[in-house]
Amino acid sequence: MRKTWTLSLALTLPLALAACGGSGPAGTTNGGGAQSGGTIKIGSLHPLSGAAAADGQQMDNGAKLAVEAINNAGGIKSQGGKKLELVSADTQGKPEVGQSEAQRLIQDGVVGLVGTYQSAVTANVSTVAERNKVPLVIDVSSADSILSQGYKYTFRVQPSSTVLGTAGAQFLDQVAKAANQPVKTVAVLHEQGPFGSAVRDAFKAEAEKAGIKVGPAIAYDAANVSDLTTQVTQVKASGADVLMVSGYYRDGVLAAKAVATVKPPALKAVYGVANGAFDLPQFPKEAGAAAEGFFDANYHADMTNADTQALAKLYQERYNDQIRTGAVLAHDSVKVIADALERAGSAEPAKVRDAIASGSVPTLIAGNGPIKFGPTGENENATPILMQVQGGVVKQVFPADKAEEKPLYPAFKSQ
Amino acid sequence: MTTTTDTPAPETAAGRPLPRLPWNKHLVAIAVLAVLLVPLPLILPSAQASVAVRVLIFALMSIGWNMMSGFGGMFSFGHAAYFGIGAYTSAWLLVEHRASPWIGMLAGMVMAAAFAALIGFLALRYKLRGAYFALATFAFAEMLRLWATNSDFVNRAVGYHVPLRPDSSWWWIQFEPASPNYFWIALGLTVAALVISVQFVRSRAGQFTKAARDDEDAAAAVGIPVMRYKLLTMALSAAITSVAGAFYVQYFLFIDPDLAFGSSVSIQAILPAVIGGVATIWGPVIGAVVMGPLNDVTATVLRNPPPALEFLQGRSGLDVIVYGTLLIIIVLLLPKGIYGTIRQRWSRR
Amino acid sequence: MTTPADQGHAAAGSGGVATLDPDEVRPTRGRTVPWLRIAVIAALVVLAVVLAYVRSGSGVVVVQAMATGVLIGGVYGLIAMGLTLIFGVLDIVNFAHGSFLALALFLTFGLTQAGLHPYLALAVSVPAMFVLGLLVQRGILAGAMGKPLENQLLITLGISLIIENALLLFFGGNPRSVALPGDRGVPIFEAVANLSRILAFVGALILAGLLYLLLQRTRLGTAIRAVAANDTGAQLVGIDTRVIYAVTFALGTACAGAAGTLVAPLVTIEPTTGSLFNIVAFVVVVLGGMGNVVGALVGGLVIGLAEQLGGIYLPGQSPLLSVFIVFVLVLFLRPQGLFGRSA
Repeated sequence: MRKTWTLSLALTLPLALAACGGSGPAGTTNGGGAQSGGTIKIGSLHPLSGAAAADGQQMDNGAKLAVEAINNAGGIKSQGGKKLELVSADTQGKPEVGQSEAQRLIQDGVVGLVGTYQSAVTANVSTVAERNKVPLVIDVSSADSILSQGYKYTFRVQPSSTVLGTAGAQFLDQVAKAANQPVKTVAVLHEQGPFGSAVRDAFKAEAEKAGIKVGPAIAYDAANVSDLTTQVTQVKASGADVLMVSGYYRDGVLAAKAVATVKPPALKAVYGVANGAFDLPQFPKEAGAAAEGFFDANYHADMTNADTQALAKLYQERYNDQIRTGAVLAHDSVKVIADALERAGSAEPAKVRDAIASGSVPTLIAGNGPIKFGPTGENENATPILMQVQGGVVKQVFPADKAEEKPLYPAFKSQ
Repeated sequence: MTTTTDTPAPETAAGRPLPRLPWNKHLVAIAVLAVLLVPLPLILPSAQASVAVRVLIFALMSIGWNMMSGFGGMFSFGHAAYFGIGAYTSAWLLVEHRASPWIGMLAGMVMAAAFAALIGFLALRYKLRGAYFALATFAFAEMLRLWATNSDFVNRAVGYHVPLRPDSSWWWIQFEPASPNYFWIALGLTVAALVISVQFVRSRAGQFTKAARDDEDAAAAVGIPVMRYKLLTMALSAAITSVAGAFYVQYFLFIDPDLAFGSSVSIQAILPAVIGGVATIWGPVIGAVVMGPLNDVTATVLRNPPPALEFLQGRSGLDVIVYGTLLIIIVLLLPKGIYGTIRQRWSRR
Repeated sequence: MTTPADQGHAAAGSGGVATLDPDEVRPTRGRTVPWLRIAVIAALVVLAVVLAYVRSGSGVVVVQAMATGVLIGGVYGLIAMGLTLIFGVLDIVNFAHGSFLALALFLTFGLTQAGLHPYLALAVSVPAMFVLGLLVQRGILAGAMGKPLENQLLITLGISLIIENALLLFFGGNPRSVALPGDRGVPIFEAVANLSRILAFVGALILAGLLYLLLQRTRLGTAIRAVAANDTGAQLVGIDTRVIYAVTFALGTACAGAAGTLVAPLVTIEPTTGSLFNIVAFVVVVLGGMGNVVGALVGGLVIGLAEQLGGIYLPGQSPLLSVFIVFVLVLFLRPQGLFGRSA
């Protein structure tokens, strides 16, 4: 029997040790501990390592800058000028890690969560938030399914896939008609996941309303694709005058390179909708001349806004990097929670949730107005704007009140 | 598992131990351990309790893997297939047909076992071994992932959300988020899997499987129907791992093709067994206990580093580097795994 | 548990490599060109092309798909060559190969930032990766030789985690790129392709040729093949297998270095870029037969074509699905690979 006991001990010991190691700094407060310290904690959950680390770090930095700004302006005034504290956690892009980190932050006493970029992680974190009755403000994660679960504690600042696709089609129609060259046929190239498919469906429905023919629609697997020349050749064979592209960064660059190689003669413009590449500052750098003239209808930081410019400048100084829209969204999401704290006059998560639901917060993202959540938690004023690469720089071109430059359509001289 | 007989240990003074005794000891150890662990979720804060549940899911997957690849000697690099089948079957039955996750779990076991038998039959029929067998299992798991990603039948890449219930329920395996019930169910399932693997190894089927692993030709020559026992082992192994998948869905309330069938899932099934000790009863459990929280521990330590390492704070990626380094060190220093090495020391004494 | 030794027998047993003297081996080499097998593969490819044409109804698209498939296939083959050497000789399922590739990509990026022409970076990346491979094999993997498959798998996995996250730590996650001066579209019949892709393909051909010569015509190559065929036998005739293991692994990583530099202008450079190719590279290795560099090139072409034409057959499905279907069929029907018998 001695061995049995030693064995059991050997088994339980590491578990106990591991548990202690894991709990390290967390053990101070337990649930509702927000009032105990001198600060109010907000959780930031982003992929700080893994494939999406670049975006995750940007977003975490954006949230940090928001907290800093609020604290410098005197903290939460309705609560005696209490300072905010941002507690950052790394989801590693993995739902399980996101779940236990969210659990840890909640146990740590955060009054609200901001995150998380990947839809699968967000889906998990939103259930944790719902079940613990702590609000989650989604900065980036477009999947429609997250907000269709009837959750009360989940809000989303960025526009949904459906809004992006619909507005994208409207902008295209308006820009082309303004140039007196209405669009006849649009070919669609999209990543095959739920994101790309949802954007395609919404885009197609709206475009057909405007009398634009949509087809062919070609899907690709964003995780593995290493060349899109064949797909662009299919577009060339179809004779479409606009190519709509919806996907992520790496595949967006491949699409641009393929278009530059194949040069479909009938093509007047490449038009991204919620494209993860075409509106990023590094896209023209990487794709070079191939990027010139590309449109993207996407949610985007409003660079015509002086506050956004100031934030971008601060970000550049602090982190030596150009700010991305994700960071601005995270920044705004923290502002949403801070505003709710101010109006609720309490740091109780349930009250913060109610205040978020009834709030109206000015935003640095180009949209139809302040951040205001509808009954499902969707930001009702979220909308994309249209950008175009002009002279190697991404410029806002449409609608007119957000435009830095005029849209150039057709983007390509007929070849 | 022939423990010390060369030195006259006090316990064996009563004579040569019965061949079954070591296995009974395992059963006693399982029972003791289970009782010791029952109060754990009541002690741990909720975030650590959720890590503990994750550890048990980890262990369960790996107990399944160990049966096929450890005791059976057929190296599977595609246990994500069975994990995913368990997860998707129960999620599909629950969301589309309102069936209890317990029923889904059973259905998932059947489906996974059938799929394993099919893969096994093809792989053994065409005499795949070693790395080739591993790559074939990997390919099947990947094909399932790609199929699920593009099939309307299982909701494409969106996957399934488990609908939240207003009340707690054992029948629907849904409780308050910090409820200890999750841990207890996972513990119960893990203990059941351990008992099954103890019984399997001491059974005729288990002995035949091990004989076929050690020398297939000899086993066939003495009349053991090698194919039948190998398929049986694979089916059992798949069924156990599928339970982990079904429970995963109920605990995390969400599944998509990558979470279910991704190659990282297959690695997660292998990791605990190798770290703990391949082809041992306790290996997968010990490995899961060590490796499960390791990620969280390195992340925690580096989040609030000791003064000497302060310059590293806030650099992302470092925790994973530390994790990778520890992984290599453990595998290199303890090639037979933690339990395997300890057992070897004991028997040498 | 199968020991590495008998996996070696099953896989890379090439005719008469146990003899050591290179002069004796040479004559047996000439007549081993498997014409029949090449003809069968060619016939299958033609059939696949005809089906693709029927399915898409557009000649231009099919020609483009083939051109792209062949060129991508070259890239796959290029990446798989190092892997197949390591797999064939050391019997290690090397999951770190993709991260070695990523390392070479970043190395190339750094050198071009310093003003070097991308292809001149080869002069640095290949030797640097060779040395790194030597260090990794001697320092880490040597302790795991002859251990079960799963141990080696986890170790290489650990190495890849370290490399990828070290790149993340030092370079950050922002995507980088390398521009090839003078890159442009080049017409091939009705299709077009980037010059950089064509050059990468040519690079793959040259590398395969060099490796083939190295393995067939040099004393070192003979020793490597001997170890691949039967390591205990090789040891008995006086080959220091430890040296061969280290050199082979270093050669394999040097190939990843060459591949990284040649591929750099085609891809977005991120720490995880290399891992994207891991799965396909393994498929290619099995198709070509473990340890067979020319087989890897052919396997790469088959996979490239399967992926591109598969995209036409099964629109809406991931091209990887057709890759895996081809893979499983080959595993079952020709587990020694398409060219399993020739080393």
